[in-house]
Amino acid sequence: MRSRVAFKILLHDRSTTAGALIGVIAIVFLVGQQISVLFGLFTYMSVLVDHGGADIWVCSKNTDNINGAGYIPERYVDRVSGLAGVAWAEPLLFGGASLVTRDGKNEAVQVVGLRNPRGAAGPWRFYQGGQDGLLEFEGATIERLDAKLYGNPQIGDSIEIGNVRVRVSAITQSVKGFAGRLVFTNMVKAQEIIKSPPGRCKAVLVKLKDGVSLEAGLAHVRSMLPGAEVLSADELSRMTRIYYVKNTGMGGSFGLSTLIGALVGIIIITLTMYTGVLQRQKDFAVLRALGARKLDIFIIVLAQSLMIGVVGVFIGFLLLAGFLSGTLDSPLPSYMPLWIAPVLAGATLFMCVLGSLLAMRKAISVEPASVFR
Amino acid sequence: MLQPILQLESITRDFSDGRKIRRVLYTTDLSIFPGEFTIIAGPSGSGKTTLLTIMGLILKPSEGEISIQNERVTHLPENRLATVRQQKYGFVFQQAELLPALDVLENVVVASGIQGQTVSAGLRKKAGELLDSFGMGDCLSMTTQQLSGGQKQRVAIARALINAPALLLCDEPTSALDSESSTIVLDALKQLSKDTTRGLIMVTHDPRVFPYADRLIKIENGSIVYDSRPQGAQEA
Ligand SMILES: Nc1ncnc2c1ncn2[C@@H]1O[C@H](COP(=O)(O)OP(=O)(O)OP(=O)(O)O)[C@@H](O)[C@H]1O
Ligand SMILES: [Mg+2]
Repeated sequence: MRSRVAFKILLHDRSTTAGALIGVIAIVFLVGQQISVLFGLFTYMSVLVDHGGADIWVCSKNTDNINGAGYIPERYVDRVSGLAGVAWAEPLLFGGASLVTRDGKNEAVQVVGLRNPRGAAGPWRFYQGGQDGLLEFEGATIERLDAKLYGNPQIGDSIEIGNVRVRVSAITQSVKGFAGRLVFTNMVKAQEIIKSPPGRCKAVLVKLKDGVSLEAGLAHVRSMLPGAEVLSADELSRMTRIYYVKNTGMGGSFGLSTLIGALVGIIIITLTMYTGVLQRQKDFAVLRALGARKLDIFIIVLAQSLMIGVVGVFIGFLLLAGFLSGTLDSPLPSYMPLWIAPVLAGATLFMCVLGSLLAMRKAISVEPASVFR
Repeated sequence: MLQPILQLESITRDFSDGRKIRRVLYTTDLSIFPGEFTIIAGPSGSGKTTLLTIMGLILKPSEGEISIQNERVTHLPENRLATVRQQKYGFVFQQAELLPALDVLENVVVASGIQGQTVSAGLRKKAGELLDSFGMGDCLSMTTQQLSGGQKQRVAIARALINAPALLLCDEPTSALDSESSTIVLDALKQLSKDTTRGLIMVTHDPRVFPYADRLIKIENGSIVYDSRPQGAQEA
């Protein structure tokens, strides 16, 4: 009967209930949106590493984030390829350049050079055309979401990047980087465009044979290339994210806005739940006179808080899902790892109960004698 | 020999207004017997509600002992007192004090389920019958806002009776009602007072209800000044 009373009071006091619900929804939506944008940016930061398909990355010594890697000799590729346990090794080149748009403006892009025919670390999702486009001598990809900025070049159109003429041979879909708008082309064109020193690349991607352990592979490559930084793809990806979070103030800014979202929600919940209990003081006094213990009153308010929490989390996640699917193919990065959802739901329920503490205190302090006054 | 259902021994109550302590109930010995309509009357501020809430285990006395059915309850912890209230008492207040969030039937069964007990179909049926016996059988699923003052008070009486209490305590239950509704409520209480398993106490300042009393107690300035049943006397 206690939870029924709790539920009926919520139904009866609609404006209080709606107010507290808004508080819960605010937490789920504001915090969830911040987290998904943060994770969206995370995926952008290390996008080349995550989609590279390699087990091991060889970079210049002391590389702590992929976008800050220096040049290494391209001949490392051959040294590593020869190792037992290595399935393949491929060089990768990338660097900034400027693309001339249709109306003559310059747009900064990140050019990525792949070695044919494997094209390791190439685009992972195409809107038009495919990986084959990069086999063309002058072929390059552009990203669909950036196309408008460039003046909407179509497949087959020529564009100029870093004073080098290339032809759009494929259009990627939602292939976005953190360091700049991604343009993929072959190694030779890339070298020409970013004017990198001859015989040099930015990284060597190593794929191990099936059955070779990562530790063994790493040790092997390290002993072969003591002058280079040899990292597993996961480690490099993680280091890259940490680098950006630490060095851009991004972590702090996201942390702050997440905190503000949670605080706003808790304050709304606290105020509405408290005024809700104030309105119902007489009812609680009557229940106490009829035999309710303090525990029973506490349980009623706790049940209300949990009911509001569960419904609010549900609505909040619906809105969040709408936001996430709405931004799926937009320039705004958003991505929510699956494990975040239960953590966010649990944390929100906790904050909802936290916000109800004041209301609970008020409710259990109501004196049964007050009914008689 | 008739046994008292409720006994007060040397009960007093003081209130402090922050600076000084004021005695609002002077040493009181009182036994309440089942099967009679006990009315406690007195002017405003005389201590009627104070006495009633002490008898109802809602207000702690400053001194003295309370026994229900010969069991001392004065020193029980608060949550045990709440359980005694639920099991042995029914309360009717000046205003009906129904919960607006609940419908009529739920307002009655809530008194049974408030400590977390599940409300059985049998209990709902009993509540329906109780309401029916007060002429409220057609209103079970109405909201409390749809009821008149007198109807609300009849629902409140049904709520007070749902746990078959040993004591029914009413604090001016008719003072907010018109005379017609008053009569209905008083007749109902009079009827209930005949049950020899239950004590019925009503507090009032209205001399017009005195004729309903089997026993009339008058209180002034915190002291009992008149009792139609001499202290200690027992019915033959
Ligand atoms: N909680 C309290 N704190 C301080 N004084 C109180 C408190 N409750 C009652 N009193 C005082 O005790 C005295 C008796 O009050 P009580 O409510 O018992 O009177 P009553 O006979 O029920 O009056 P009424 O007919 O107006 O309801 C009054 O003077 C009142 O001011
Ligand atoms: Mg009073």
